[in-house]
Amino acid sequence: MRKTIVLLSLIILTFLSCEKDDFCTQNPVTPNLILRFYDDSNRESLKVVDNLYVWAEGKDSLFINASLDSLFIPLNSAATETVYNFSKNNIVNQFTIQYTTENEYISRSCGFKVIFNDVNFASNNTWITDFEPATLTIEKQTEAHVQIYH
Amino acid sequence: MYRFIISLFLLFVFGNGFAQETEIQNKKIEQDSIIYKTAYGLRLGIDISKPIKAAFEDSYNSGLEIVADYRISKRFFIATELGFEEQTSNEYYSNSSSKGNYIRLGFNYNAYENWLDMNNEIFVGYRYGFSRFEQSLNNFTPNISNTYFPANTTSPNTTANLNAHWSELMVGLKVETLKNIFVGFSVSYKVLMSAKEPDNFKTLFSPGFNRIFESRTGFGFNYTISYTIPFAKK
Repeated sequence: MRKTIVLLSLIILTFLSCEKDDFCTQNPVTPNLILRFYDDSNRESLKVVDNLYVWAEGKDSLFINASLDSLFIPLNSAATETVYNFSKNNIVNQFTIQYTTENEYISRSCGFKVIFNDVNFASNNTWITDFEPATLTIEKQTEAHVQIYH
Repeated sequence: MYRFIISLFLLFVFGNGFAQETEIQNKKIEQDSIIYKTAYGLRLGIDISKPIKAAFEDSYNSGLEIVADYRISKRFFIATELGFEEQTSNEYYSNSSSKGNYIRLGFNYNAYENWLDMNNEIFVGYRYGFSRFEQSLNNFTPNISNTYFPANTTSPNTTANLNAHWSELMVGLKVETLKNIFVGFSVSYKVLMSAKEPDNFKTLFSPGFNRIFESRTGFGFNYTISYTIPFAKK
């Protein structure tokens, strides 16, 4: 009887101290927006943007004085619009992304991912001369969603 | 002199005497005529681990299990468990709760050779399990992998009526502590055969099965106190 009680309490403790065993290996779960910068005069070749500052309207900077030819930036899943400011050599170009959100269940450990549907871009074209959306839906982060010419 | 010689002859005369032989033939070895009878009947009990678990574990809201078995031969028992469970699955990105009823049906095979009139068991068993339950997604936060734009927690409160089927292999022991009162303990290994999944979500917990892992297998245990209603002694 004593042995049984010891065994029982051992098993109860084992069950009580159960930790979460599965970890989300998918990274990121919700895709970021990918932009690639191309040369406006030669639309096939990538062109690095120098002295680039990126921030969302009313937020801190995500990139400070960066030199990049592609950008990974998050979209606001709690709204249907995200307004970004891209500044190059102190000229600010406002870039607006409009979308609808959809939650898709992935797994117990990864939870829900956000898919952005009906994506619509708008730019006030200061230093950016043109852009070309590559997709209407942002659901994975493997290729660029929009090409930007400057 | 003659007398001596005759006496000497007598020395070489031997008689065969089998003093006990006739007696052995008469006395047959008596067979041990006492046959130890054990009770056959319906054994009813409850799993006391579930109320204990409900008291100590926050995510386990309530649970009750009634166990029963019926002895059909020296070693075989038809066994069943009926229960109710309610559990909250609190994950990193979602909170859901399941509640519902289940039944497990199968048999136990007692592998223990009892001494004399003892009536203990070390058994192996198989169960088929079936549950009907509802699972509610209370709230969730999308996994957005960044802190730049915090995600909103939404409370859809969607409820789905679900069911699950599974198989269990069980090992356990039962000890007769008082007459007809048994204390039992068993562990089981469960393999999910099918589970109905809610739309755009997953069945995370099934009553009677426990937490459903990605591997669709699980472990369970119970600690029972039961009473045999004896119908016959065989």
